[in-house]
Amino acid sequence: MSVMSRRTMLAMTGVVGFAPGLAKASAMLGEPAPGFEALDADGRTRSLSEFAGKTVVLEWTSSDCPYCAKHYGSGNMQALQRKAVKSGVVWLTISSSAPDREGYFTPNTARAWRTKVGSHASAILLDGDGKIGRAYGARATPHMFIIDGSGRIVYMGGIDNRPYADPASLKGAKNYVANALADLKAGRPVAEPISPPYGCSVRYASAGSFQ
Amino acid sequence: MRFLTGVILTLALALNVPSLAFAQSSPAQSSPAQSSPPPAKHVRAELVSDRSGIAPGETIHLALRQEIQKGWHTYWRNSGDSGEPTQIKWTLPSDWQAGPIVWPTPQRIPVGPLMNYGYEGAVLLPVALSAPASAKPGDKITIGAKVSLLVCADVCVPEDDTLSLSLPVTASAGPADQKWGPAIADALTKAPKPQGLVAVFQSRASNVALAVTGSALKGADLKDAYFYPFESTVIDHAKPQAIERGPDGLTLTLAAGYGFQGGKSPPAMAGVLSIGSRAFEISASPGAPPPGASGLGPPVSAKGADGADLGLVAAATFAFLGGLILNLMPCVFPILAMKAASLAGHGGESAAAKRQGLAFAAGCVVTFLLLALGLIVLKGAGAAIGWGFQLQSPSVVGVLALLMLAVALNLSGLFEVGTSLQGTGASLAGRQGLAGAFFTGALAVVVAAPCTAPFMGPALGWALTQTSLAALTVFLALGVGFAAPFVLVAYVPGLLSRLPKPGPWMEVFRKALAFPMYGAAAWLAWVLAQQAGADDLAKLFAAAVIVALAGWLAGLGQRRVAMGEKHLVMTSAAGLLAILAFGAVVWPQDKGAELNVEPYSPARVAELRGQGRPVFVNYTAAWCVSCQVNDKVALSTHPVSSAFARHKVAYLKADWTKRDATIAAELANHGRAGVPLYLLYGTNGSEATILPSILTPDIVVKAVEAADKH
Repeated sequence: MSVMSRRTMLAMTGVVGFAPGLAKASAMLGEPAPGFEALDADGRTRSLSEFAGKTVVLEWTSSDCPYCAKHYGSGNMQALQRKAVKSGVVWLTISSSAPDREGYFTPNTARAWRTKVGSHASAILLDGDGKIGRAYGARATPHMFIIDGSGRIVYMGGIDNRPYADPASLKGAKNYVANALADLKAGRPVAEPISPPYGCSVRYASAGSFQ
Repeated sequence: MRFLTGVILTLALALNVPSLAFAQSSPAQSSPAQSSPPPAKHVRAELVSDRSGIAPGETIHLALRQEIQKGWHTYWRNSGDSGEPTQIKWTLPSDWQAGPIVWPTPQRIPVGPLMNYGYEGAVLLPVALSAPASAKPGDKITIGAKVSLLVCADVCVPEDDTLSLSLPVTASAGPADQKWGPAIADALTKAPKPQGLVAVFQSRASNVALAVTGSALKGADLKDAYFYPFESTVIDHAKPQAIERGPDGLTLTLAAGYGFQGGKSPPAMAGVLSIGSRAFEISASPGAPPPGASGLGPPVSAKGADGADLGLVAAATFAFLGGLILNLMPCVFPILAMKAASLAGHGGESAAAKRQGLAFAAGCVVTFLLLALGLIVLKGAGAAIGWGFQLQSPSVVGVLALLMLAVALNLSGLFEVGTSLQGTGASLAGRQGLAGAFFTGALAVVVAAPCTAPFMGPALGWALTQTSLAALTVFLALGVGFAAPFVLVAYVPGLLSRLPKPGPWMEVFRKALAFPMYGAAAWLAWVLAQQAGADDLAKLFAAAVIVALAGWLAGLGQRRVAMGEKHLVMTSAAGLLAILAFGAVVWPQDKGAELNVEPYSPARVAELRGQGRPVFVNYTAAWCVSCQVNDKVALSTHPVSSAFARHKVAYLKADWTKRDATIAAELANHGRAGVPLYLLYGTNGSEATILPSILTPDIVVKAVEAADKH
């Protein structure tokens, strides 16, 4: 067995070994991403461990937030999703809005929204109890995380460098997620792994703090 | 698909169309093509001025006034975890200038588990307006402002306003505007400004310490202190900020934000330090917190009077019970048994027996009150000389942990305490009559001291944080509880025969009580680990070993005294070691030179070498003793850190404390099976130099200079 495949196997074993039971850990750059399990819009249970070995993008969204509307309304987000999924990346859109708050998704409303905006995400995860959001410290919509093939977080933060609601701010914006995915594809370390997340606050249920 | 996108785009644009604005003089024109009324605004925005005119060359202040609907809020320059600050784009005649917004101190607006910084109700955002010297008196100028702000409650709504204001240019400085002049002046006065405070921040294991000192903070009430950073990535806004006071200022413990991830650190932390009534602008640079920024414990909250009443009753009851249990202490019981037996000797003279009982109670209570007074005086003096009694300071926790350990070792029988005191006291207590009873009471308290820590500890600790009256009440309850059984026996002679006789069971009881004390010491060690990290914990453990050694030597010395042999060397050695151990825990340590460390990855090494920088890779692990020694002795020294800085050496740490396949493979590549391994990659692209396993600062500096020569 070559060294390379042995390493990959070791890495994959590591991910599978790490994935369960880390739901309470805090997301840190370079560290293994907290594992999770949730229902998706089609009623299937999805988990982070099922994508072991692949690059995974987590996108926190809220259907009512003007900052998400900036990216969806212009088609910017959908284009990014399509390009990523085409190159083998798994794109998970997550809604952590609590049931009595704006942006809450049931499987029906999630599917309707997916059709309405034309999302190209691999799956839309329904995190109504906010477990995944809290495990990752997701605080704004959109808040982006990228997990590489070895299960480590290689990007966390905003989607671009224009923290404004005005759709005109998309012109000339530097898209950190697109750049990070390009870096990963080329085998480079991500040049800008952290940026300030911006947007509307994630609509959690109660005042409990993150871990 | 395209049609849907088009519909969504149109909807999005429609929502952002500027609607009717509230301006001071001229409303903006609404588009005649708009058929539906604009959505109701949540912020009434207007542009106001503090003067009714402006002279050439003069600077006045305009302000954007936001009247925010109840339940909604707008944002500060750092909106916190989410949101967007208000922005103003000015349209001014040429050569006129508008300055940045002078932001008032924000409020904290928690949103679930998240935190935003912003404003509720009504807020004035002043902006300086400067007229050029070429302005012509008599002209009327129009100032335009395009305001974009985000206002949120449960949902967020971006609101844009186009406002304008007309101002005449006057020959000389005009009078203040009656309505807005005082309000704007007030906003400007209250706005945070730099006040010569010195601030440093230091990244610790899981948080960041921000130490701020300066004359403006001395003697101030710091209980509402809070740091609002200007950047949104330096701290976790939602986490609470622990406050530690010091004689010169304070230290806030903040949760680190994104800016500290990946082994990085922001170059500075600038923001607003608010202490409730006042706020200051500060800019912190990396550095160790000065000693004057801590040591006085957290602020004592003035409120809590109602809570304290209930707490006082509970604490007094607890203290009373504690006092009762103290009677069973092996230190105390023999004396009481002796005295009780002498009571029995009075036979039927119940009146005399009762008086003896009361005298004993008086002795106990007076001694406890004296103890309380002593502690109150100490606390008062401590506040002035910078001692902290609460468990916020790692030094105090360390000392308490060592104390618990020492008491536990004493209870386990390693050494004895107070035998000489007991000897003196016994002669006093031997006196008959009321004086004898009184002194027995006093003696009993003194002698009980080594055994009382588990029970008096919580009451003491709590009492010290409360008012003097509360502390005295608690100690009174302790004294009464302590004296109660003896008084009972004096009044009910029949009980005397029921008392358990002193015997070997007391030794067993005493040794068993050592274990809760060991547990207390272990718990305090855990608290210290949370506060200060693994290195300080290691120091505590070393000190604990020395304390145990000192205790054993003291015990040996005491046994020699009992046998009449020479004991001076042993006893003094024990004393010195004890002082060394406690001193080591209390002594503030020089952290040495801080190196900028990055986590190791082969990709990062390649990247840095590509940049032409020398790279030093330190393969280490927490369990490798020689690695830790090399770190302390060689790598954390000033000569090495300045050599690294001079030659722009990148320092990567390959931490093998937990299993890592990449690092193991790299070690194997260099023919090693374990750590430490020190590799220095030079600038000429050749193979790495392997440094010896035992480092000195000299070796590292010479290697770095050689590596950079090529």
